[in-house]
Amino acid sequence: MDNREILVDIKNLRTFFYTEDGVVPAVDGIDLTIHRGEVVGLVGESGCGKSVTALSIIRLIPNPPGKIIGGEIFFHGEDLLKKNAEEMRMIRGDKISMIFQEPMTSLNPVYTIGDQISEAVTLHQKIDAVEAKKRTIEMLHLVGIPEPERRFSQYPHEMSGGMRQRVMIAMALSSNPDLLISDEATTALDVTIQAQILDLMRGLQKKLGMAILIITHNLAVVAEMAETISIAYAGKIVESASAREIFKSPHHPYTYGLLQSIPKFTEKKTNEPLPAIEGMVPSPYHMPKGCRFNPRCPFATEKCREEEPEILEFSPGHLVRCFHPIES
Amino acid sequence: MRDYIIRRVLGMIPLILIVMIVSFGIFSLVPNPFAALIENPRIKKSDIQRLIKAWGFDLPWYLRFFKWFSGVVRGDWGPSLLYPGSLARDIISRALPVTVRVMGLTFLVSLSIALPIGIISAVKQYSMTDYIVTVVSFLGMSMPTFWFGLMMMMLFSVVLKRPSGMPLLPAGGIITPGLEEAPFWAKLGDRAQYLVMPVFVLAFSSVGGWARYMRSSMLEVIRQDYIRTARAKGAPEHSVINKHALRNAMIPIVTLVALSLPGIVGGAAITETIFNIPGMGSLIIAAEVKSDYPTAMIGLMLISVLVIVFNLVADIVYAWVDPRIKYS
Amino acid sequence: MTEKAVEARKKGQRKSSDDYTYVGMVFHRLTRHKLAMFGAFMLIVILLFVFAGPLVWRADPNEQIEGLEGMFNVPSPAHPLGTDDYGRDVLARMFFGGRISLFIGFISAISSTIVGAVVGLVAGYYGGWADDLLMRFTDAMLSIPTFPLLIALASVMGKGIGQIILVIVIFGWMIDARLVRGLVLSLKEQEYIEAAHAIGASANRIMWRHLFPNTLAVLIVSTTIGIGGAIIYEASISFLGFGVQAPFASWGNMLQNAQQFIWNSPRLIIYPGLAIFMTVLGFNFFGDGLRDAIDPKLKL
Repeated sequence: MDNREILVDIKNLRTFFYTEDGVVPAVDGIDLTIHRGEVVGLVGESGCGKSVTALSIIRLIPNPPGKIIGGEIFFHGEDLLKKNAEEMRMIRGDKISMIFQEPMTSLNPVYTIGDQISEAVTLHQKIDAVEAKKRTIEMLHLVGIPEPERRFSQYPHEMSGGMRQRVMIAMALSSNPDLLISDEATTALDVTIQAQILDLMRGLQKKLGMAILIITHNLAVVAEMAETISIAYAGKIVESASAREIFKSPHHPYTYGLLQSIPKFTEKKTNEPLPAIEGMVPSPYHMPKGCRFNPRCPFATEKCREEEPEILEFSPGHLVRCFHPIES
Repeated sequence: MRDYIIRRVLGMIPLILIVMIVSFGIFSLVPNPFAALIENPRIKKSDIQRLIKAWGFDLPWYLRFFKWFSGVVRGDWGPSLLYPGSLARDIISRALPVTVRVMGLTFLVSLSIALPIGIISAVKQYSMTDYIVTVVSFLGMSMPTFWFGLMMMMLFSVVLKRPSGMPLLPAGGIITPGLEEAPFWAKLGDRAQYLVMPVFVLAFSSVGGWARYMRSSMLEVIRQDYIRTARAKGAPEHSVINKHALRNAMIPIVTLVALSLPGIVGGAAITETIFNIPGMGSLIIAAEVKSDYPTAMIGLMLISVLVIVFNLVADIVYAWVDPRIKYS
Repeated sequence: MTEKAVEARKKGQRKSSDDYTYVGMVFHRLTRHKLAMFGAFMLIVILLFVFAGPLVWRADPNEQIEGLEGMFNVPSPAHPLGTDDYGRDVLARMFFGGRISLFIGFISAISSTIVGAVVGLVAGYYGGWADDLLMRFTDAMLSIPTFPLLIALASVMGKGIGQIILVIVIFGWMIDARLVRGLVLSLKEQEYIEAAHAIGASANRIMWRHLFPNTLAVLIVSTTIGIGGAIIYEASISFLGFGVQAPFASWGNMLQNAQQFIWNSPRLIIYPGLAIFMTVLGFNFFGDGLRDAIDPKLKL
């Protein structure tokens, strides 16, 4: 049981996209809980709704064509979905910050990085430009950018991808938020840079104590960082447990399949092909009837094809959405 | 940056050369340039011979070109056939500032209308405002300028009259006869009424195109990742549009405006003719119509050089405005 | 799309993206584009007017009525659009003038596009000094204000329909050439061109079979909008006295003729000018819609 205060509580979030070709139920009933200072991983394939969940939290869903049509997102006990535009604006960048996948395009090319970080500072804190510059240089130093005073007046195109991502992190943490959402922040980086950024985030989390929601499709990333992991598939959460539990004893066939497909180095050579999950992620316009995973599930039964399972607590702290969870 | 400028300036030279060759070349195609003069019984044969020698028509074409080239560069532009007794140089130097004034005004008016309209269109995409702007842009782009000029003239000079019986707006010219020596402000006010219609007609055709371009540039920019970052930072919407988006959207506009110049100058030619404005455009056209080829050649060459120089300035402005070019 | 539309689709009344071919999709998007369809409607009306008009209203555009009573007649059942300074029936002149203006516009635009496409394709594909030279040349030419240039050439080449077409094409191909060249440059780098090289396709084959079809869409749009531009050029050139000469009528030279009568018979200016305006508008609406239909993401 987690004794920490609940920071974010997402209940039955539904975000749909209304397009010319049909309705896309990108997020269709997602529950997620984040405690103060907790590192939570949200894992899933492309299109499973994890980014949309993150954008829904800070309410940056492009409308049209998207719309949050149901659910509640409690932050410090208040429902974010009931707040007006100005209230949300004050929360963004101040209490909840987000960093994105593409550092190469996420910074404005015509302003210096110093200006952009200082802007984040002055937007939410009542300090003057000189103070803001000092704070910015502090942040640059904190995220490990050498020669911060010189870098202050540089433009994004003069920096590498890894450095730009550090700048993004500096910008996001400049007001000491309660929650940092990292949406595939390391996916577009080289593996070595990836490791550096993850290290940085880990260090900052210990130092500043904020909660982090790590969104990724890469299990290795969450294995290192997350305390709790939720697995998403086709707009719903299919399994949620502590990181340890997920890796040691996955109960949902999808999670199991994901873990099986990770290549492992073993001492004996095998000539067996790498196990993969059969089939493909369903098209959002044609969701399967019943359990959304059933077409690909080796254990599917008639019931799975007819009814959708609810998410239930299989063992203490371990939730699974399946009629026939795998024992281990 | 300095290298960029030097390179661009050097690049201008071949362009100017080609323009001179083309201007010269076209009029060299005339089979018998002095036909009109020869037929005129009042002009002596010896005078015609003198002209032929002066213009180098007794020489083969390549020598003639050099003779012309050196004459032009030295400032010796020969006699005017259009206004016998005057030097071409005087006629042209009186006409040039008029055109510059009209063009400059048109430019300012067009820009100051087109840009805000384009921005509003983009921000309120698909709204009624956007739709109206689009339709009006098309009207502007499809309307033959001279016809529009004539219609305006009909409306404001023939149909609408002032209490005194005079036309509401003068149908031609640039200054009321007798006011040449008037004090500055009186002259300004007087000039203004002559310029209203021509500038309006000219501006109408370019405003549409520019507004649409601004709109598409803004739309493109608003879709970028760094705009999402700005919102995620908690920047207020007006700052997102006017600070983050606008600066980026303006950059391609510089190029567009520079590229439109030849079109506007061309349109000015016929507008000047209709409204009897003694500028370069109407001068060139009159020269071409009355077979004053020497003047036409030089006139054409001059306004082309003006356009080329303007393009150079635009390129430099572009490089200055886009940090990716300025600092590389 | 609203929930109602979603329901309609479920009942099989509308297809989804997966069910169309490329051309089908373009057509589908085009027919939905309000402005484009309006433009097409305008063009159809104008084409009918110009080509089918004389079948309905038979009058000789060149038949002159002698005497003062024939001149500048107000619209009447005998002459629905009145008569001009020579007593000629304006409506009939509008039909035939329209044919000539449209003919010139169409031929000029298509020719410009063809020449420009070939030049752009070759220059873009081969590159090298020829390409550089070409680009310098077109840059210079594009710096010269078009209209005075056209008049210059027109005054030199003489008057007439053929000459006008030639003049417009001589300067018109450059825009298409640049367009195609730019496109070819970016397409050249794509992997399927590399693959074609690798299996030994000749330069000609690559240019015509692989690159050219991908430029077609852009060229079609450019031609459509080019027709509008060419019509305005023809009108402007004829307006100044070059271009189409009597006894042929074109909307442009009708305007030229009417200019002197702005005080006593302004309707002579309104009719042809309005016709030009509507025609160009139609082509522009349609061309723009076409561009959107071909690549909606372009959003230009």
